[in-house]
Amino acid sequence: MHGLLNYILWLPILGSLLILLIPKEKVNAIRWFTVAVTTVTFILCCILYVNFDQAVPGIQPFTAVSMPWIKSFNIYYKLGIDGISLPMVWINGLLFLICSFSSFDIKKMHKGYFSLLLMLQGSIFGVFMSLDFFLFYVFWEVMLLPMFFLIGIWGGDNREYAAIKFFLYTFFGSVLMLLAIIALYFAAEGRLGAETFDMVKLMGGHFADLKLSLFGMDLPFDKVFFAMLFVGFAIKVPIFPFHTWLPHAHVQAPTAVSVILAGVLLKMGTYGFLRISYPIFPQAGHYFGDFIAWLGLVNIIYGALCAMAQTDVKKLIAYSSVSHMGFVMLGIAAMTTEGMNGAVLQMFNHGLSTAMMFLLIGILYERSHHRWIVTPEGKKGFGGLYAQMPKYSIIFIIGLFASLGLPGLSGFISEALVFIGVFKPYPTIALLGLIGLVLGAAYLLWMFKRMFFGEIIDSCKEYADVNKREMFYMAPLCFLVIFLGIYPLPILDVMKTSVGKLVIDLAKFAP
Amino acid sequence: MDYTIANIAPIVLLPFLAFVIGSFTAKKFPKFTGIMVCVAIFGSFLLSARIFADFVFNQYSADYYIHKTFTWFDLGPTFKLNLGIYIDQMSAMLLLMVSGVGFLIHLFATYYMGEDKRYARYMIYMSLFTAGMLGVALSDNLLSFFMFWEVMGFCSYSLIGFYYEREAPGDASMKAFMTTRIGDVFFLFGLLIVWNVTTQVNGQGSFTFVDLYNVIANGGFDGQMLLGIPLATFAGLCFFMGTIGKSAQFPLQIWLPDAMQGPTPTSALIHAATMVAAGVYLSLRVYPVLEAGHLLVFVSYIGAITAFGAATMALVQTDIKAVLAYSTISQLGFMVLGVGVGNYNAAFMHLITHAVFKACLFLSSGSVIHSLHDHHTGGHVQEMPRMGGLRKKMPYTAFVMVICSLAISGVPFFSGFVSKDRILGEALIMGLKNPVYSLPMVLGFVAALLTAFYMFRMIFLTFYGAPRDQELFDHCHTEKFSFNRNLPLLILSLFTLGLWYSGSLTGQGLVKFPGVENKEWFQTLIEKPDAHHLAKFKNYKSQAWGKVDVKPAIDFSKSHYDPTHGLSAEEAHHAHTLHLYGAVGSIFIAFLGIFLAYLMYIRKSLNPGWWATTFSGWYQTLKNKYYFDHFYIDVLIKKVLFKFQDFIAWVDMGIWDRIFIDGWANVNNFFSYWARKFDDVVVDTIGVDGTGAGVRFFNLVLRTLQSGKIQFYFVVIFLVMASYLLTLRVA
Repeated sequence: MHGLLNYILWLPILGSLLILLIPKEKVNAIRWFTVAVTTVTFILCCILYVNFDQAVPGIQPFTAVSMPWIKSFNIYYKLGIDGISLPMVWINGLLFLICSFSSFDIKKMHKGYFSLLLMLQGSIFGVFMSLDFFLFYVFWEVMLLPMFFLIGIWGGDNREYAAIKFFLYTFFGSVLMLLAIIALYFAAEGRLGAETFDMVKLMGGHFADLKLSLFGMDLPFDKVFFAMLFVGFAIKVPIFPFHTWLPHAHVQAPTAVSVILAGVLLKMGTYGFLRISYPIFPQAGHYFGDFIAWLGLVNIIYGALCAMAQTDVKKLIAYSSVSHMGFVMLGIAAMTTEGMNGAVLQMFNHGLSTAMMFLLIGILYERSHHRWIVTPEGKKGFGGLYAQMPKYSIIFIIGLFASLGLPGLSGFISEALVFIGVFKPYPTIALLGLIGLVLGAAYLLWMFKRMFFGEIIDSCKEYADVNKREMFYMAPLCFLVIFLGIYPLPILDVMKTSVGKLVIDLAKFAP
Repeated sequence: MDYTIANIAPIVLLPFLAFVIGSFTAKKFPKFTGIMVCVAIFGSFLLSARIFADFVFNQYSADYYIHKTFTWFDLGPTFKLNLGIYIDQMSAMLLLMVSGVGFLIHLFATYYMGEDKRYARYMIYMSLFTAGMLGVALSDNLLSFFMFWEVMGFCSYSLIGFYYEREAPGDASMKAFMTTRIGDVFFLFGLLIVWNVTTQVNGQGSFTFVDLYNVIANGGFDGQMLLGIPLATFAGLCFFMGTIGKSAQFPLQIWLPDAMQGPTPTSALIHAATMVAAGVYLSLRVYPVLEAGHLLVFVSYIGAITAFGAATMALVQTDIKAVLAYSTISQLGFMVLGVGVGNYNAAFMHLITHAVFKACLFLSSGSVIHSLHDHHTGGHVQEMPRMGGLRKKMPYTAFVMVICSLAISGVPFFSGFVSKDRILGEALIMGLKNPVYSLPMVLGFVAALLTAFYMFRMIFLTFYGAPRDQELFDHCHTEKFSFNRNLPLLILSLFTLGLWYSGSLTGQGLVKFPGVENKEWFQTLIEKPDAHHLAKFKNYKSQAWGKVDVKPAIDFSKSHYDPTHGLSAEEAHHAHTLHLYGAVGSIFIAFLGIFLAYLMYIRKSLNPGWWATTFSGWYQTLKNKYYFDHFYIDVLIKKVLFKFQDFIAWVDMGIWDRIFIDGWANVNNFFSYWARKFDDVVVDTIGVDGTGAGVRFFNLVLRTLQSGKIQFYFVVIFLVMASYLLTLRVA
């Protein structure tokens, strides 16, 4: 069992290199090789899940890997997972498996595409597994590269603009993060006896009363670098006002990349808060708590209002991600057991439901080659899809209602937990957050109404219903969304001990 | 009898399983699916009937309840979420009503929807809905109550939009879901308050009703404020918002008339008998919160305004289902009025009686609509102006519809009289005692008058007089008795008789029961959870997982079921007299309403057209539903929300992204441009290349000088010397 994480991490990366050896004419071989790699990776993730001991708070001993990498700077190759990262690792395995099926639709340069896709998977695994800050940063940056090319080469009409925007925006955040990493590295010498990048050692609020002399001012060390990390992670989440790269990137990205972007990548931001910002700077976390909670609320309502106004389905769902990630931030900022659990669960559930939505839009796009609910000329882009594609519509309804948080589907429990958690510290925010729930239903149902009800319009008359392959990769998501809505324990059980420990650790530093 | 989760839960699980299996068999075996759904719901009915019989015959006590919980999930020491089953007399009756009426409606649906191409789909949605409603009735806690409640909302959405080939059902279903959603989010907020208060009092959060009652009995809400409002009032308002949304009360009544876009059995089951009544059921369940929050006056106003307003709108409808829809809103208003004036028991009784007769009325209207086939448009006819004289064509339907109309109008010996009279009687007492209640009282009585009038207007227009569309009439087949069309109607109409509810069959109870005197069984069993009654929850401790918490039927004394509600003998006598006046008044009103309808539509001594033209302003207002739809949709949504969201989206992409984010990129571009220019011109061209050029220049000069030609050197030496000599001479 030791070294399981190594296999999960390096298998996709190895796969991405091996693909390069396949001749580019053998498209099917490339596709099925990718499917094979992601399947094996997913099975390994499942083995990881089965072996997970939910009684252990913190890092699971059987997953821990640690060896020196660059000795002179105390940089270690250190991996490990706990209950917060396990759901993310698992969903990363699942979504890439699904995406490799969905990517059969890719029309050009198969070899490069699938190679980059596997590279992306490996680097995301790396982010969720690293326990060394330097290693974390490396994976965080490596992840940008395949993403940049996947959007920039296989994207829509305006792909280069979107890719560059995505890259620069995220890179800007990364630079701030790098500053914080280096500052922590040196500060650790005074506080912990030795310079280190080890996250676990850095945790525990050691940097509260340090001062940072800058331009002749004495600034509080932890607040300054919490803010820097905040910007770095906020761009990824994305938190208002750092969100505008998201609609561009989503609209331009090919379907599978949108799915990964919304399903896993955004969660890296909130994961950063849970793994790095809060445990390392708990005092600053409490200090900025109100601010982050209010920003979360703004995210929810602002994202929902923007989504209402969209006429492009994919953009609508992109903004809905902004809105839903607001719930995660709200849950984190509440710093209560319910709120934190709700936030982590919401990260997982949003990954499922939003992945469904993007896959469904991708399926539709394959048939229509446009995504307008209302075309720029003011005509109906879609109409009567319910009658035209009944199976598709049923799947769409499941995804839609999971997104809007219908009880019985997965989204509800996480949202309810977040609200329970937020109510105690911030009743006003909880009350205002209800507006987000109403708007959330409004934009989704309104979209559904305009696209699916009524007579079939002429341009929709030739669309075929979902085929076997599409059904094959949508079915597990439908099942999971319903199953976890009724029985959320498989996810809640693995995370609750780790999250509970985090909440208790944070509570020690409450002012 | 031993109750366990295993023998109670199938009440919900059977219809749910039928839904799950049905979703796989619907396409291949539609007939089988339909039958399976009916069988499943009949199974639920049998199980409910067993529990009901046990509660009403064996445990003849309002104090008896079953409470059984299990832990759904547990997030550590401070957070444990228990769900469970709570059955008291009220839920036992509700279970019986929902499964019984539900079964009959499903049976009818096999007739009504049998020819439809999506028949099986329809049946499984109905089945899921029934599971949701039964789940609401069984829930021991607000959370699963809310979850089932939302599942019902989803089914309502799907079934209203069942004919998705047309635009109107799409609009109607979205309107229904969104309007109720507004109430639902407040309901959710109420849940949060309850969780928080129970955490404060018990150290362990809980959503269960018994814990809520326990907290109220222990004064957990006292003195707490939230955002400047007393906490109990806040919580009560939140829950009541849930009722307003789901039960289509003023000002969120707009969705229910549109919901008639769904197939008629849906209207009967969801939008008349069960889901809309679940809103009132919620108010009854959280009644102690409403009371502690001093909200009852507010509740009674909302109820009375709804009852009256909807009744007036029903007067001018020409669509047979629309009349029934407004009538449903109005009757729900009566129930809420009953809650508001504190007659808990009568409100619940009206919920049950209304469910029966309104389901029957809707099914009858379905029977009428289904037989009227317009051969020109190919659709069915719902407009009453094209009907008339139909009693000759469909005698059975006409018969049950008249029976049910008598019931809803409040004619003695029918169920509607028994329940509505008690609500009006209580309103009368409250109105005379406390002037605050006088408006709800007056509105209640006027609404009762209007109810009798519009119901018989509908009956006369549909079944009596001469046929107004002869062609339609001739095409209509004469009704033959069929078991899935007429049997459900007849059974339902049988239960519109008052004797079932008043207990006049046996003097007092459904069976003779020693020790209880002068009290009807319904009143004995359903007891208001007021302060006095809550005392029993004061020392309540929630039970550990697996334990059945069955309250044994305690030895009840007469004082416990004091028919005088704790009034003194004189007051009780006074109240009794007033009740009598109320009864006489409501009988008079019922007959007056029917008589007016008779004058207008049979005798034709009053001309309805004259009224419509003389009061055309009012007529238009009623036709336009008091302009509520106009205000909400055209003004609030289109003028305010759409403008606002477009503005936000424009700010987001047009200003923030375009100007600030891309602008920041442009600033960087600008600097990098000039940096490049500086680099190119100053550093490279002038500095680097300039240095090179300078070197090259001197190189050229020096190279030219050092040409290696001796003559040239001599010339230079000569010139230098000559110029030196010249300067000397000048000096």
